[in-house]
Amino acid sequence: MSHKKKTLRKRQSTSPDEAGSRTAEDRRGSSGEKNLVLPDRRTFLAGAAGLFGLMAMSSCSWQEFFQNQFTRMTKKEIDETVARLQAEYKEKYGKDFVVGTESPIDATLFAYGLDIQRCIGCRRCVYACVNENNLSRDPQIQYIRVLRFKNGNMDLEEADIYYDPEEVPEEGYYYMPVQCQHCANAPCTKVCPVRATWTEPDGIVVVDYNWCIGCRYCMAACPYMGRWFNFSEPVIPKDEVNPNTHYLGNRPRMRNVVEKCTFCIQRVRQGKYPACVEICPVGARKFGNLLDPNSEISMIIKTKRVFRLKEDLNTQPKFYYFFAT
Amino acid sequence: MQRSGFLIGVARRLVTGPPVYYVWMGLLLAVAAAGVASYSVQLQRGLIVTGMTSYVSWGFYIGNFTFLVGVAAAAVLLIIPAYLYDFGPIKDIVIVGEALAVSALCMCLMFVTADLGRPDRVWHLIPGLGILNLPRSLLGWDIVVLNGYLFLNLFIPGYILVHAYKNKPVNMKFILPFILLSIPWAVSIHTVTAFIYNGLVARPFWNASILAPRFLASAFCSGPALIILLFQIVRHYSKFHVKNEALFKIAEMIAIAMAINLFLLAAEFYKEVYSDTHHLSPLEYLYLGLHGKGKLVPWIWTALGFNIVAFIIFMVPATRKNFATLNIGCVLIIIGIWIEKGMGLIIPGFIPAPLGEVWEYLPTRLELLVTLGIWAIGLLILTTILKIIIPIEMGEFTAVEANSGGLEGRERHSAATHA
Amino acid sequence: MNGKLGIPKTALPVLALGLMGLFLGLGSGSIRAQSREIPPEAKYESPSEKDIMETDSAREFPVPLTPLPKTITPCRACHGPEKDFPVNMKRREDLLVHKNVKLNHGGVRVWCLDCHNPDDRNYLLPLSDGKPIRFEQSYLLCGKCHGTKFRDWRNGIHGKRTGYWNAEKTYYRCVTCHDPHMPKYKPLQPMPPPQKPWTPKETRVKQ
Repeated sequence: MSHKKKTLRKRQSTSPDEAGSRTAEDRRGSSGEKNLVLPDRRTFLAGAAGLFGLMAMSSCSWQEFFQNQFTRMTKKEIDETVARLQAEYKEKYGKDFVVGTESPIDATLFAYGLDIQRCIGCRRCVYACVNENNLSRDPQIQYIRVLRFKNGNMDLEEADIYYDPEEVPEEGYYYMPVQCQHCANAPCTKVCPVRATWTEPDGIVVVDYNWCIGCRYCMAACPYMGRWFNFSEPVIPKDEVNPNTHYLGNRPRMRNVVEKCTFCIQRVRQGKYPACVEICPVGARKFGNLLDPNSEISMIIKTKRVFRLKEDLNTQPKFYYFFAT
Repeated sequence: MQRSGFLIGVARRLVTGPPVYYVWMGLLLAVAAAGVASYSVQLQRGLIVTGMTSYVSWGFYIGNFTFLVGVAAAAVLLIIPAYLYDFGPIKDIVIVGEALAVSALCMCLMFVTADLGRPDRVWHLIPGLGILNLPRSLLGWDIVVLNGYLFLNLFIPGYILVHAYKNKPVNMKFILPFILLSIPWAVSIHTVTAFIYNGLVARPFWNASILAPRFLASAFCSGPALIILLFQIVRHYSKFHVKNEALFKIAEMIAIAMAINLFLLAAEFYKEVYSDTHHLSPLEYLYLGLHGKGKLVPWIWTALGFNIVAFIIFMVPATRKNFATLNIGCVLIIIGIWIEKGMGLIIPGFIPAPLGEVWEYLPTRLELLVTLGIWAIGLLILTTILKIIIPIEMGEFTAVEANSGGLEGRERHSAATHA
Repeated sequence: MNGKLGIPKTALPVLALGLMGLFLGLGSGSIRAQSREIPPEAKYESPSEKDIMETDSAREFPVPLTPLPKTITPCRACHGPEKDFPVNMKRREDLLVHKNVKLNHGGVRVWCLDCHNPDDRNYLLPLSDGKPIRFEQSYLLCGKCHGTKFRDWRNGIHGKRTGYWNAEKTYYRCVTCHDPHMPKYKPLQPMPPPQKPWTPKETRVKQ
C-alpha cells in the first residue's frame, strides 16, 4: 500500500498539473507524454518484430512482394514478371534462363501409365527428375518415390523405399514408383486458402510459387505424398541447374513454399516426353493424351488391365498402373 | 480530453499493482522478447529450424492453435450456463470470459502466422486484394470465423465498457443480438477448426465423424477450467465478485464434458481396434508405438491419466467443492487436454505417412521458445485487458474519476484499494 | 418306281423337303445372322494389323539407323556362295567361329538358324512373303514368336520410346534392350536411395 502511495506522490511531483489546471494541453504537455511511452512499448515491440520480419525477408523485391497470382495477371504483368525472374536467375546461377509461360495445348488431357511388370526399381527416373526440375539437393527433395513390395501384396505399410541392393530387380520383390497423380478430383486444390494451386485445363495440377503462403494445408490433404516443402533455401549446384523452365514448373523455387511434380510442364507443352519417361531404361513409363484414342496411354487403357492407387478416395488420379505381360 | 484521461488512467493502472504483478509482467515480457527473437531467427533461416518435415508438416504451432481455439470458444459459451444457473452478475462473467477469448484468439492468430512459411504474403488472404478460396477451403472459412469472432469479442465488451466508463446505460436492445450471435459463432469457430482436419481423405485418423464432437467436448473441458482459475485470480486481486457456487457449477459442467470426451474416445478406440484395418495405425502409434517408434506414448498416457483423475475430482462433490483439489483438477485437465488436442491430435494424423512410412516429430528448442513467447504475449494481452476492464466494470475507473484526477481521484482510488 | 425323268418317286418329296429346308434355312439363317451380329467392342482389331497385311515386310517404324556395331563385317564375306561350303543344318553347341556368342534363347526350342537366314547370312529368316528380313527390322522376326509383345511394342505399350508425344518419336528396337542370344534383361545397379528425413534423435545442421 505504502509503495503505491509512494509512486503516486512521485508522479504528482513530476507533473505540473496538480489540483489546479485541468486543460488537456497541460496534461499532455509534460507527464502525459512520459506516461504514454509505457503502453506504446508493447506496440513498439510488435511493430519492430513485424518490421524485422519483413526486413529479414528482404530477399524479395517490392515487385515480388506485390506480385499477383498467375491466372489473374495481365499479359504485360506476366512479361514483366518473367523478365524479372530471368534476370534474378541469371544473377544467381550465371546462366541465361528461359521462363516459359506456354498455355495448355488444345484438346489435351495428360495421363501417365506405369508398367509394374517392367519396372525394375533402378531409380533413374528419380534422378532424371531431380536434374530436369531443379530440385533441391540439400535438403533433398525427390518428387518420385519408388516403393518396393514383396511379391504377394501391395501393403503400403510394409513397403520399403530405402532398398539399396547391388542389383535390381531383386528376387521376390516388385517395384512401384509413386509421384503426384494429378488427380481430376484433387483434394489438394480445394483446400488451398489462397488458390495458389489449381488444375490446368490440360490436367496438370500446378503451384504458383510466388503466391503460395506456405501453410502446408495441401500437403496434409494429399494422399500420395505428392507435395514437398522447401524448409530452407533450395540448394542446386550451379553446373547442374536446368535453365529451360516454365513459370508453373521447374523454375528454381524459393524457401518456404510447396512444390510438386508438374509432369515436366516445360517439356510436355512443347510436345516432349517428361524426363522420367525418357530416362526409363525398360520403357515402363508411358505418357500421352487421354483425348487421343491412338495415343499410347489410350491404348494401354483400352487393352491392358489398369488400376489406380487409392481408388476408394475418389481422387480420380491420372496415373494408371498396369501389368503388361 | 477524455481520451487522454482514459489513456493516463490506463497507463497508471498498468504500472501499478502488487509486487507479484511486477514479477509477472517482467517475466512475461522477458519470455515474449525471447519468443520474438526466436521467431526472427525462424524468419531468417526458414522453417527448417523447426522439427517439421514433409512427412509431418504440421506440428507444435498448429497443436497449440487447435487447443487455443477450443479455449476461445468455450470462454464465451459460458454465457449460457452463467445465465441459466445465475452465477452472479452475468455481465462480469461474460466480460472475463471474453477477455480470455480475445487473448486466446490473439494467440491463435499468432500461432497460425508463426506456422506460415511466407508470412510476408499474408495479404494474399484478404478477399479483393488477394484471393480467399471460399467456399471450398476450410482454412478460408477459419480466417473468416476467427476474425469475426475477434471482432465480436472486442465489440461487445468494448461497447459495454465504454458505456460503463462514461457511466451511461447500455442499450441492451442493440447489444443483445450481438451477444446472442456470439454463441453460435463460438460453436462455429471450433467446428470449422475441426472440419479443417475432418475433411482430409489422406489422413484417416482425422477423417472420422467423431472429430468435431470430440473437439467441442474437450473445448468444454479446457476452457472452463481456465476460467475457474482465472476467476479466482481476478477475485483475489480486485473487487470482482463471483460466487463459489458458480465455480463449482462450472466444475460440474466440466465433469459432464469430460465424461462425453472419454466416451467418444472409447468409441473411437472400439471402432479402430475391432475393425483392425490400417486405419488403426495412427492410434497404435499414439498409444503403443508403431514399428518401434513411439515418442508420444508416455505423453498421451499421462494426458489420459490426468483427464480421468480430473474427471473424478470434478465428479465427486467433496473434491469439487474443495478449492485445493478443484484447482489441482483444473490444472490437470488443462494439461491433459493440451496434450490430447495439441500434439496428440496433430502428429498421429501424419503417422504413418500416405505411402506407409513412419517418421516422427518433436519440436525443436526454437519452436518451444517461439511457442512460449506467443503464450507470454497472450498472457500479457489478457493481463492488460483485465487490468483495464475490471476496474471499469467495478465502477472504479470511470470518465469522471479519470478526468477529475487529483485529490478526489486519489482518495477514491486509495479508498477502493484499501477496501 | 422311277417316273418319266428317271427320278424315283420317293426322291421328289425328299427334294421338296430339302428345298424347303434350304429356303427356310437361308431365310432364318439370314435372320439369325442379323441377331447374332458380334458387337463391335467384342472384336479386337489392332489398328496396325491391316497395314501389316497389306504392305510387305519392309514396313517402317521410326527405329534408329542400325543396331549392329561397326566392327561386324558383312556376313557374306565368310558365308558367301564363293566359298561354297554347304550349310550344316544340324543343331550343335560347338561352333568353329562365333565362340563368343552364348546362346540362351528359349532353351532347346531356338537355335542359330532358327533366326539367321542359312541362304544369306546378311539377312534373317523371311516372313511368309518370302522376303528375307533385314537386321534393321529384326523386330518383325521377333514378332513371329512373340506376337503379343510385338503388338504391344507397335502400340507403344512395350518398350522404350523417346521424342515427342505428339510428333516424331524414336522407337527402341527389341534388340536394343534384349540381346537376341541372351534376351533376359540384365539387372542394373540401382541409383542411391533417398536420404532419410530429419528425426528427433539426430541433430540437424542448420546453415
